[in-house]
Formats: sequence, structure tokens, C-alpha cells
Amino acid sequence: MSRPPRLAAALLAASLFAPSPAAALVAELSQREIEVTTGFTGAELLVFGAKETAPADLVVAVRGPALPFVVRQKTRIAGMWVNGASEIFNTAPTFYAIASTRPLTEILPESERQRLRLGLDALPLRPEGSRDDPAFRDALVEIKTDAGLYRQVDDGVTLVGDRLFHTRVFLPPTVVPGPYRVDVLAVQDGRIVAARDVSLVVRRVGTSAEIWRFAHDHSWFYGFGAVLVAALAGWAGSVLFRRN
Amino acid sequence: MQVYLPLAEMSVDVLLVVGIGLAVGLLSGLFGVGGGFLMTPLLIFIGIPSAVAVATSANQTMGASISGLIAHWRRGNVDAKMGAVLTAAGLAGSALGVQLFVLVRSLGQLDLVVALFYVVVLGIVGSLMAAESVRALMRRRRQIRRRLHEHFWMHGLPLKMRFRQSRLYISVIPPVLIGFGIGLLSAIMGVGGGFILVPAMIYLLGMPTGVVIGTSLFQVVFVTAAVTVMQSVSTQSVDIILSLLLMAGAVAGAQFGAAMGSRLRGEETRGLLGLLVLMVALELGINLFRRPEAMFVVEPLL
Repeated sequence: MSRPPRLAAALLAASLFAPSPAAALVAELSQREIEVTTGFTGAELLVFGAKETAPADLVVAVRGPALPFVVRQKTRIAGMWVNGASEIFNTAPTFYAIASTRPLTEILPESERQRLRLGLDALPLRPEGSRDDPAFRDALVEIKTDAGLYRQVDDGVTLVGDRLFHTRVFLPPTVVPGPYRVDVLAVQDGRIVAARDVSLVVRRVGTSAEIWRFAHDHSWFYGFGAVLVAALAGWAGSVLFRRN
Repeated sequence: MQVYLPLAEMSVDVLLVVGIGLAVGLLSGLFGVGGGFLMTPLLIFIGIPSAVAVATSANQTMGASISGLIAHWRRGNVDAKMGAVLTAAGLAGSALGVQLFVLVRSLGQLDLVVALFYVVVLGIVGSLMAAESVRALMRRRRQIRRRLHEHFWMHGLPLKMRFRQSRLYISVIPPVLIGFGIGLLSAIMGVGGGFILVPAMIYLLGMPTGVVIGTSLFQVVFVTAAVTVMQSVSTQSVDIILSLLLMAGAVAGAQFGAAMGSRLRGEETRGLLGLLVLMVALELGINLFRRPEAMFVVEPLL
């Protein structure tokens, strides 16, 4: 299916789910499950929904599972650049994308933004060590941003009329499988007036998932299997390409 | 076309990876070496994590060497006894190498250690090869006769053993040390080690050239097979999809390389190989001193 009709259908579906006065906000995803296959080159997620007619700004945040990361600083030893000082971040989201109708700083007061952890500078990234050097945190955010795993788009959420909204979030091929959470917030006069969260699962499927699981769960068999497969492939290849 | 590598956990261009396999296969067919010493740096260069590059390259080298071993075995060019001694020592060396690999990786210095091993080992081997080839070219002009093989002090060490097929009666200590060293390098660098083993067999052990290639392939196949299993168990970094893609290119490339190689003289081939090895060492060496683009790196905590 081409993209525009899918979007139209999604928006139509959203309008059918039109909120009763009690439900100030509804939100849905184009897919609740993203499958990482052998040919996986990333996925585009469409977050769409409808809000009350009252003027309000919208914030959409997508968070991936958190994992421990280590950030290492390059230092020079005997003229060579090597990994020197390091900081461990025990829980850093593997994916974080936030989009809004207007810049976050204009929508929400600073204290509220920090409390709700909205925005790249409000991510709860605290290093394990006592060294208080913001360079490590900044480097983590910068590297993840360059890899497309962290993103903040100030005008990423598009309003259609005064009720419907949608935003697209690209999940790059390096996304970590696991549970993801999409938060949709409606903000009015610096206050959250409505919130919805939708969960999303990124799963390894097909051959690549089976290979990964087998390699981790039965590593001895995987090792012997890799030897056997390489031997067979090498032998078959030499037979195939043998010159007469 | 992109394909997702399950253990490297990233997507790569199929044509790029097959192309690397083809290029390395071409050179390996041309020079009669496995080519692991080129494969690992190229994989790291295109963004494959060092651990996956090393472990997968060992697996790939094993697959690429097996048909050569079968061919040499059929022709009786394998000194099985020497091969067994080298392999046994190689297994011990690679077991130690994998442990070292795991330790260094947990310290965050894997990239550095792999690069340093490459610079030092390739630098020494490349220089020796280039120098030897120049000497051989000069010797050919002067027509000096050589003895069957030289006797070194180390051949007289205790624990003498008879290697009938190599027509040698020497101490078992030199082959054990050589095998152990190659095994260690195989685990850390992801190479088969043929480019060191072959000259070591000729110049240090004094084996006749006829059995050298076959016997070195014997050791390479078994040691890289062991490295594949041990890396799979300790680091889960043998990516079989990557390995198969590389092999698809390498097997085809090796045939063309072998056809081209038969038109070159031995000394010239070895001289060219020496230059190639030196160039790889130089490139990696310069990289260590070049200011990195990013002053920080982020890795998952292991």
C-alpha cells in the first residue's frame, strides 16, 4: 500500500474513534509490533490520533528499553589515541524520540519538563561514578543522536484541522528489540491536560532471530554448526568454481 | 541490497561484503595465503565491531582453507605428524588467546589491542618477507647453491622427534612454540596465520617446500575451527551470515587469483605480498596516531 492512502485511512480511523467529551485524547500507532528480519532496514512508525477541539499543543515521546552503556573518552598515550577514562550509565534508553507541535521550551515550563523527562536534555542519564563531568553525558546523547537513536523534533507533530494530529518516527536498523512505549500528551497553558500511552514491541523474527537466539542459548552447538557450515560452504564453493 | 547481520546486530550492503570477500579471495589465491590479515581490518573499516570482525574472519578463513587442505591431502603434501604437533600447540595457544580477548574486551581496549597486534605482527612479517624476496632475487643472479636445510641451535634441543614426511629429526620444542604462537594470533587477530606459518616452517624448521603449504593448511583449518567454537562460546561474535557472504566472494576470488598467480615467479610473489602486508601495517599504525573524529565512544556494557 502506498503511503498517502495509508495515512488517509489512519486519519479516517482516528476520526471514527472521535473522542466522547470524557476522552479528551485518543492515540494509535500504525503498527503495534515491529519485526526485525534479516532484511530489516529500519521502520517508520506513524503515531496518530485526535484531541479535543480546544487549542492545545501535542507532545509525542517514544522510548525504547533501557540498557547499561559505557562511555569512554579517547586520551593520548605515547602519541597513540586510546580509550581512557570511562563512565558507566546503568540505565540509558536505547531509543528516545520526542516530537511536538512547537518547541518544548515554549510549551512547558522548565521544571515540568524536567519532572516529566521530556526532551533530550531532560533524559535521566546519571553516571555511576562520582566524577561530575557533563562531557560524558553529552557525548552519549550526541553519539546516539548521530546514530538516529535519539531525536528531538520541535515541529514534528502535524495538526490536521484542530482535532487530528500525526507524526512519523523512524526507527533505524540498529534499534534494540524489546518493549517500547509511546506517550502522547496534550498541553495547554503549560499544563498537561490529557495523556495517553500506547505500547509497542520490537521483535526479532525469522532467520535472524533464530540465529541470534541459537547463538546465545546453545553457543557450543552454534560454534560447531558454524564450523560445519563454513566447511561445507568452502568445499561446495571450490567444487563449483573448480577450473577444468 | 541490505542484509541484517544477526550477531553484529547491524545491516550491511550485501554487494560491499561480497566484494570484500572477492578482493581478499583474489589476493589470497594470488599469494597462496588465507587472507585473514586483510579481512579483519577491512571489516573493522566498514564498521563491523572488532569482536565480530575477528571471530567471523577466523570462521571464514577456516571455510576458505578447507578445499586447499583436501587438495593437498589427496596429493600427499601434508606432514600429518608435524601438522598434529602444530595443531595441538595451536589449540592451547588459541584457548589462551580467546581468554585474553575476553579480558581485553571487558577492559574496553579490544580495538587498541587488535590494532597493535596487527601493526607489530604485520610490520615484522612484511619486512622479513620483503627482505627475503630481495635476497632471493639477488641470489638467483649469483647462482649460489643452498643446502637441503640449515641446522639451527634450536633443532638440537631435547625431545627429538622424527618427522618422516618432512625428512626431519628435530626437537619438538620449536614446532610447539610456533604452533602456540600462531594459535594465539589466530584468536586475537582472526587470521589463519599461514602468512607467518609458511615462512616459519621453511626458515625455522627447515621443512621441504613441497609439504609446507599442505601442512600449514592442516594447522590453519583445525585452529580456526577451534577459534570459531571458542569465540562462539565466550563472546557470541561469530556471525554466520557475514561469514557466508564473505566466503561466497572469497571462494570465487581465490580461483581467479590462483590463475593470475601461476604467471608470477615465487620470489616476486613473496615480495609483493610483503609489500601488501607492510602497507596494511602502516595504514593501521598511522590510524593509531591520527586524531580520532569522535573523542568519545559508546559501547554496551558487557
